Amino acid sequence: MGKIFKGRTALSGNFEGSAEVSHYGFNTAATYIDVIIGGSDSGVCMDHDNPDLFKHDLNGKVLCIPQTVGSSSAATLFMIILQKNIAPAAMLFANHIDSLAACGVLMGDNWLDKRIITVDLLGEDFLKSVKTGDKIKISEDGTIEIN
Amino acid sequence: MKRHQLNGQIGTDPNFTHATHTGHAKKNAKAGALPELKLTPEEQEIFDGKKGELLQKSIKTVVAYGQLFGARNLTDLDAAPHMAMSWGSDGVEPFLKIYKQLADGGLKTYAPFTADPKPMDFENLPMSDKETEVAKKIYNRMDELEEINLKLGMLKDAWSCACYLPQMGNTPKFGDMLAWSESSAINFSNSALGARTNRNSMGIDMLCSILGKAPVFGLLTDKGRKAKWHIDVRLDKMPNPEMIGSAIGIKVVEDVSYITGMDKFLPGGVNEENTGYLKDLGAATASNGAVGLYHMEGVTPEALKYGKDILEDDYQTYIIDEIELKRIYATYPNLWKEQEGTPERVYLGCPHMSYGQMVDWSNLIIGAMEKAGKTKVAIPTYFFGYHKVAEDYEKRNPELAKKIKSYGISIPKNCPMMWCSTPVSGAERIATNSNKTRVYTTARFFFDDALTHLIVNGELPPMA
Repeated sequence: MGKIFKGRTALSGNFEGSAEVSHYGFNTAATYIDVIIGGSDSGVCMDHDNPDLFKHDLNGKVLCIPQTVGSSSAATLFMIILQKNIAPAAMLFANHIDSLAACGVLMGDNWLDKRIITVDLLGEDFLKSVKTGDKIKISEDGTIEIN
Repeated sequence: MKRHQLNGQIGTDPNFTHATHTGHAKKNAKAGALPELKLTPEEQEIFDGKKGELLQKSIKTVVAYGQLFGARNLTDLDAAPHMAMSWGSDGVEPFLKIYKQLADGGLKTYAPFTADPKPMDFENLPMSDKETEVAKKIYNRMDELEEINLKLGMLKDAWSCACYLPQMGNTPKFGDMLAWSESSAINFSNSALGARTNRNSMGIDMLCSILGKAPVFGLLTDKGRKAKWHIDVRLDKMPNPEMIGSAIGIKVVEDVSYITGMDKFLPGGVNEENTGYLKDLGAATASNGAVGLYHMEGVTPEALKYGKDILEDDYQTYIIDEIELKRIYATYPNLWKEQEGTPERVYLGCPHMSYGQMVDWSNLIIGAMEKAGKTKVAIPTYFFGYHKVAEDYEKRNPELAKKIKSYGISIPKNCPMMWCSTPVSGAERIATNSNKTRVYTTARFFFDDALTHLIVNGELPPMA
């Protein structure tokens, strides 16, 4: 069994997938800048100020981050990437979820019927433990297993 | 450089602050089950879909959002809504789509609402054909947004971030519950008026306003309005509000503060004369940090009512003196591409100017122009303000307004930051008196005396 963490479930679900880890605040707008401005259909992170994720394809991955930061228009961007089916499958927050991400994932869930499994308050140790490429098992109750 | 990753697009948080952005920090929160949010029978009916699918989706989103931040109930909203979304572009297409569904479903906000200023003012801005073309391309869905907003209950031509000014009339009372977006308006309504609103994300503001309800957490609660910081201002001369606000925002991030040492500069408390000062101080706290509320001893309503009792028991103290303000000012980066170049435009007013600020800036500029024997400003200069504030200023001060106009100064009603952020204008060297504009764009912040010198002479004074 791998290392276990227990967080708070914002949007529940069971999922197993590969981790993409950022130790920097996840800048939603900068990540999907080409989606917003160029109409791109790619889920690749274009935030060149994020050395952890730059040029990583986040589509279908388990995104592990402290919080999201940046543009207050981020909520609409979550909905755009959900519409285009290029969103991460899950978002795991070390800190308390912020209002921009919360609005985005909840509106996507309620208005598009498309879910990004979301768990927050996993703690700083979670981000210290998890590495990009790790296999992550997410359980409905907010238990996260890193293998 | 960590800012302008969006080529200066509006709304960017350039400080990339780790915060909830609600105006209520959750630094020590622990994982656990979401709180139960108890609904009234009427709310439960909406939740169960008995009032239609659109309202059901709206309340489900609002309830889930509230639970994440600790809400245990909803409250009815008072006064009227204010929305930050004032630009129609492809970037906000999902919201436009949802808002259209709400409008087509015959739903309206609980009271007529106001919204932030439009990105452009094609009537009052001296825009080149190229600028106009670029702006119309970026904000290609403005007409669609305006049409939807009007259907949802927006007041006609009510586009200004300073919606609480009497000329605009969206002025909540003490204790009113709101679900506003636009960080500077949130800050003013909480701090100067004693109304209660969290810092809401766009989208949540509209859904709450359609329901006429908001989740109760953070700045809507007595506990959430207690101050975690004592800001001890130790200055003999009235400081620039933009610098005080900047220092506080950078220090406290999103905590509530209790400011002392300022009441001697602001006799009369919250009145027409002091409105501009409090507006700019608050906007700087909100943009340099993520502050939704400050109390100011002897000035703001809750500080008058509760005094130092509104401080948390374990509050921290931050001293602001001349040395600290100079230290903060020295940290502001020069983001002009040609750093030593001469400024090309002067932007005054962000948030939109109050009546008092239009009068004060007119007197300042007229005095300096007459002393220098000049009849035209040496650099394009703009007072950004709501058109009814401008009309009030012109009506009550016809001589001032006539002179200002004759110098070549115009009063556009759009958002200066959005104009500043279009690719054409964004490349210019812009000087501003707004710390908010400094934070969100490549414009540089200068003090009033330096800007006045610039307006009259076309160049900055030495050591500005």
